[in-house]
Amino acid sequence: MSSNSSIVDRSSHSQALDGVKVLDFGWALVGSLTSKYLADYGAEVVKIESSTRIDLSRLVRNVSTAQANNLDDKPWFVHLNTSKFGFTFNLKHPRAREVMDRLIRWADVINENFTPGTLAKLGYGYDYACKLSPGIIMVSGSAYGQTGPLAHEWGIDGTGAAWSGYLDLTGWADRDPVGPQMPYGDAVVPYLNILAVVAALDYRRRTGKGQHIDTAMTDVATHQITPFLLDWQVNGHLQTRAGNRIAHASPHGVFPCQGEDQWCAIAVFNHEEWNAFCRVIGNPDWTSEARFSTLALRKENEDVLEGLVAEWTRQQTAETVMNLMQRAGVPAGVVQTAQDLIERDPQMRAREFLTPLEHPVLRTMGHPTPPFKLMETPAQVRTAPRLGEHVEYVCKHMLGMSDAEYAELAQADVFK
Amino acid sequence: MTERLPGLLDGYRALDLTNEIGFTCGKILAAMGVDTIKIEKPGGDAARNIPPFAGGVPNPEKSLYWWAGNTDKQSITLDIETSDGQALFRRLAAKADFVIESFMPGYLDSLGLGYAALRDLNPRSIMTSITPFGQRGDYSQFKGSELIASAMSSVMAGNGDSDRAPLREGPDSIYYLANTAAAAGTAIAHYRRELTGTGQHVDISLQHVSAMRGSVDLFVWEFDKRLIKRIGPFRRNGPRATRWIWPCKDGHVFWTLMTGTVGAPANRALSQWMDELGANNPLRAIENWEKLNLAEITQERLDVMQVAIGAFFLSLTKREIAEEGLRRGINASVVNNSADLLDNPQLTAREYWTELPSPESAIAPKYPKHFILSTETENFVRQRAPMIGEHNDEIYRGELGLTTDKIAELKAAHVI
Repeated sequence: MSSNSSIVDRSSHSQALDGVKVLDFGWALVGSLTSKYLADYGAEVVKIESSTRIDLSRLVRNVSTAQANNLDDKPWFVHLNTSKFGFTFNLKHPRAREVMDRLIRWADVINENFTPGTLAKLGYGYDYACKLSPGIIMVSGSAYGQTGPLAHEWGIDGTGAAWSGYLDLTGWADRDPVGPQMPYGDAVVPYLNILAVVAALDYRRRTGKGQHIDTAMTDVATHQITPFLLDWQVNGHLQTRAGNRIAHASPHGVFPCQGEDQWCAIAVFNHEEWNAFCRVIGNPDWTSEARFSTLALRKENEDVLEGLVAEWTRQQTAETVMNLMQRAGVPAGVVQTAQDLIERDPQMRAREFLTPLEHPVLRTMGHPTPPFKLMETPAQVRTAPRLGEHVEYVCKHMLGMSDAEYAELAQADVFK
Repeated sequence: MTERLPGLLDGYRALDLTNEIGFTCGKILAAMGVDTIKIEKPGGDAARNIPPFAGGVPNPEKSLYWWAGNTDKQSITLDIETSDGQALFRRLAAKADFVIESFMPGYLDSLGLGYAALRDLNPRSIMTSITPFGQRGDYSQFKGSELIASAMSSVMAGNGDSDRAPLREGPDSIYYLANTAAAAGTAIAHYRRELTGTGQHVDISLQHVSAMRGSVDLFVWEFDKRLIKRIGPFRRNGPRATRWIWPCKDGHVFWTLMTGTVGAPANRALSQWMDELGANNPLRAIENWEKLNLAEITQERLDVMQVAIGAFFLSLTKREIAEEGLRRGINASVVNNSADLLDNPQLTAREYWTELPSPESAIAPKYPKHFILSTETENFVRQRAPMIGEHNDEIYRGELGLTTDKIAELKAAHVI
């Protein structure tokens, strides 16, 4: 790996997943994020793309600088694909298989999230990969899983959120359910993929055996609502949307503050926190009224209580509310925006959640770092590849092709 | 008993010192085969007081919330604030592969049981800390919760109706997400440790994990200084707001207008269904769904289509949309609740449920059995959550070799 080191210039620190090789068919969110975090922690990830089937995140123009005819200028793609090697190739080319076979033999792990069955239809399913490389680990992410009557259906983040019961629980009691403007299922499945893949690498070290791992967004999101499933079965109680309220804390809500659309969340779980909360707001007379003296009574009178809390919060900035409450030991937090996270929040900055790196088209921009931090072997993030950026490097340095071999395949248009 | 396949992480041992913020990480590892010992303070973990309760009456042995998050664990009681308790903890930690904790940063250090002490005791140790804001930085001593994490991570700013306060998600979704990230980070540290013999500290921040879901919001601010606001059951999709959640005759359905080749077949199928039922159908005017670009039609035109689609869904039941919609390929998903899920054919086909009897419940409720499936291993929920100190005898007498007298003495001193 000494030549051509500028491409893979890593610092001298070794990384947790050094030496792990990932053949990556991941796309959209689940597949891309799975391999991003593996790559950020040191795995060699070769992301397979083709110029006929372009990753969604290279196409969607969600910022004003994005051009329709440029596949390398989308910050979304950069966010999802840091630290990977970019490889393009034409799967329908008659000589594609000889290259793909070499990639499969090279890999420890194959990551994919096509609609179930797609990879097998292309002739590269788990059984085929196993024949070439008996200990291979394959992870397949999907909406509904690789089996069952819905296996061949596809879905997006909201599909899983709705189907799994999570959406039915989110929103105001008197209105339609709502969901955040950001993903949940697409965020959670990658972590379980990584957990399974890395545990499977350890399992293979101990037993010599590989495996095919099947993760379904609907399985995972349903797993999350286990307390609600138990309440229904054991108590016959079918919980539904309840705004920001929960049964074991009060006040527990989001209160308006000074300024337009400024809010602070406050959560009072116990007696000490209630007393501290009352002190912070200056112990107005209503705080000593009997109807607010216990959690049960505050829950009973929550509409009135929330109105009174809001009277106080409206006079303060959200930041003041948070700081006063936290100093007194009451959980509270500003309803922050992306702007706040980037420009104001000292905590996120201290965690280097976006690390500024140079991208060949976009220039310096924030690159997301993994939010789980290994203190001794920190993630080392590199910018995302341009389409096909590392074809030659992968062929020669990972697959061990000679210059002549590579040139011949390139001339035959295999890498399109 | 049918023969079981091994779990991915059979043979390892974890000590679990977490409260509700972090107990799902140990639950996940336990299902994968890690022998996980929940260490509770005498009298039981405070999170055992979180509702709902079996039978509705508060009782630390009957918290369904606690049951849900602590399957497959053993429980011992131990007061780690006493010197005898610390000595016992050190004996257990010297042989443990993982320690998972969710105390305020610095608390374990103050007892001489923090990561530095653990490493001296056992260099192989991996400590995973799951906290509201992470181990270091200005907010590391701030209190947190699901609500606070939602606010501070910017997820909440994009969730809810524009005329009311921002909203948290209904379940403790951020806890669950952060715990999957914690498990992934733990597995990566473990993989590394098995190769080098050295463990490390893994640092998880609820705020950070949750904030990374807002990747699009972050770069949209960075590039365009534009914020994505909460817009009820809609989602901002590039330049347009498309409706995601629609009322139907007896509940809600998830469906969204996606353009290009991804969305075209579903849009065409929906349009045809609307025609067949004689519904008002402005979708009919679209000739080439493949070429349709949301950026190139006006919000007004989009709204006309969405009003008609809304009226159409309102005329159908969840069941009609699930069954006929599936047959026609409109790619809709109904918003299920807990009752719907327990009867769901897809989950049943995937053998998703496992009944776990408990002495505290008249019925044996079904729990989600898996979050990943594998061809080689079984990583299943198998055992109900433990009673308070249920395994004191096995661990203290059986494993550490304490005498009956010594155990009685420690009990009298409230150490165990």
